[in-house]
Amino acid sequence: MFRRLFSNSLSQVKTRRMTTTQAPTASFSRKWRGAALAYLLVAPPLLLMVLLIFIPALQSIARTLTISVDGVPGFSLSRYTAFFSDPISVNNLIFTFQVTLLTLAAIFVVCFPLALYLRFSSGRIASIVQILALFPLFVPGIILCYALIRFLGTRGTLDTVLSLIGITGYRTPYLKPDAIIIGLVWEAIPFTVLVLTAGLRQVSDSLIESARDVGADDWTIFRRIILPLIARPALIAFSLNFLGIFGSYTIPYLLGPAAPQMMGVFMQQTFGQYRRPDEAETQAVITFIICAFIGFLYVRTVARQRITHEKDE
Amino acid sequence: MATLDLIGLTKRFGSVTAVDTVDLTVADGEFMCILGPSGCGKSTLLRMIAGFEMPTEGDIRIGGESVTPLGANKRPTAMVFQKYTLWPHMRVFDNIAFGLQLRRLPRAEIARKVEEALALVSLSGYEGRFPSQLSGGQQQRVALARALVLEPKILLLDEPFSSLDAILRVRLREELRRIQRRLKITAIFVTHDQEEALTLADRIAVMNSGRVEQLAAPTQIYDNPATLFVADFIGAMNLLTAQVRGGQIALDGVALDAPDGVRDGAVTVAIRPEDLALLPDGDHAGAWRASVEQISDLGHYRRAILETPSGMIKIYLPKTAAAEEGSAVSAFVRRYLVYQDGAPPREVTRPLPAQALTV
Repeated sequence: MFRRLFSNSLSQVKTRRMTTTQAPTASFSRKWRGAALAYLLVAPPLLLMVLLIFIPALQSIARTLTISVDGVPGFSLSRYTAFFSDPISVNNLIFTFQVTLLTLAAIFVVCFPLALYLRFSSGRIASIVQILALFPLFVPGIILCYALIRFLGTRGTLDTVLSLIGITGYRTPYLKPDAIIIGLVWEAIPFTVLVLTAGLRQVSDSLIESARDVGADDWTIFRRIILPLIARPALIAFSLNFLGIFGSYTIPYLLGPAAPQMMGVFMQQTFGQYRRPDEAETQAVITFIICAFIGFLYVRTVARQRITHEKDE
Repeated sequence: MATLDLIGLTKRFGSVTAVDTVDLTVADGEFMCILGPSGCGKSTLLRMIAGFEMPTEGDIRIGGESVTPLGANKRPTAMVFQKYTLWPHMRVFDNIAFGLQLRRLPRAEIARKVEEALALVSLSGYEGRFPSQLSGGQQQRVALARALVLEPKILLLDEPFSSLDAILRVRLREELRRIQRRLKITAIFVTHDQEEALTLADRIAVMNSGRVEQLAAPTQIYDNPATLFVADFIGAMNLLTAQVRGGQIALDGVALDAPDGVRDGAVTVAIRPEDLALLPDGDHAGAWRASVEQISDLGHYRRAILETPSGMIKIYLPKTAAAEEGSAVSAFVRRYLVYQDGAPPREVTRPLPAQALTV
């Protein structure tokens, strides 16, 4: 809408420039007012983004690349050298990558069948499954964490039930990386299912039937038709989940181990407990750069999708 | 290429019977059109032949062998769909080659067959394009090539040209007929467009409410519609209800001879617009006195609406016919069909009087 508003306003302004001498002044000022209104509408959010995100981010990046020697600031990579030569920091970064990638894999393993079922099924059971899949959306993260602790922890619900049926030796995933993955997967299910189902709905029945008609079985249809056609929605779900998981704090803090730590917990601890804001800032910039790369992938995918839609139209 | 036999084919969706005990035999190399209004069951019938719907009852035989238990991917049929169904992520080559790749043909043979198929639909050189780079007509031709390249025993077409503009539709229709005749492939073409069916088909099956109302050659269907539904559905028709008394059909303003076998009682008289002729205004036997309500010039002929005591009557006139809106004329019935109690129609043809203004 904004783009249309802008293009209309700007084209009106351009037309106005060419015909200034002939057109009445009232119409001229009305069109300029239209253009000004469009800029005014978009200015507050843009200004907020610049003031609260871009400027602080650039300041942080600049600070991490600056070091004062005898009160004279100069360019230096020493903070990054320190981060990458510290085994704990590197371990935490690797651990964050590992947990993020394993969680993403688990999310897709869980969500793909769910999305496929919801796309190709109808009726009461499908509606119930959809409601269940969306349920985590309405549960705050902290409540989820304590619910999982009560369910998965030692002497929790699962442990008790297993003992009752004679299975002993239960080893709780609580305070292990597994608990983080379980919590993050649980939290990511609704969003991922929504994105994948929306993507699958773009694959029409007739595209699938025409593949079946030329001899393709279900697996071939999934591999050769459905998967390539939902690659973009899947990449969007991947990028947005990556960003959320890589920088997550509550679930890794409450469910995860004391060491190694995910970057969100590590940053908070370095800043809040160890009182080392410079190191925390470096950790934040590194996290930000990794997330920015994934963000770039997301923006590129969305932009390509938009171009394709415009071509189709 | 093979024969197709549908034996007592029925499809029910819950309490709704979409296809009701259809028996149909399509000869080897025949072009059969299934024609009917929306919701008559024609697409469901085609989808059962393709294997996308399982019949509730009945059997489908291709070349004498039952294919009813087989899924769509196992049947020797290929279908061209109504919507554009090219896979958007594949180039034209891959779209056509997909079915051949599944059959594990050698690469060189696939390339040769794709090239031949594209040449057949006059799209040589388009192998590298994506579907989004093709027009609607080109996409449907690629879809046709994708179906033909598999050399199916039966080619199924589900209103494949309905999304195209009128000129392109006519062109592709002619092209399809040329290809079908050249390959001598058995084809089933579903359409609601009677002109399409009359142009393409060797035989037409007219469907209504899940049943085949008439199965015959296009001329037969047009000239002798077996039921009132077919008479009304195919071409333009004036349908008039009347009473038969003493061997005469008493229409308001005119009396027509009742054909042999029609007894006293209610009948429906069906008159094609081209079976009416204009006479000079006056009283003529077997003609209405009428006034010309409206005339439309349709290029090679004129269509007029006449106001008669029996109501508005449609008539086709040669473009040279000297009739003007508002003028008084007489409308002579040269040929008519009489329908009574669901029995086959009885035809009456009468010689044209010498004073006819139009022939």
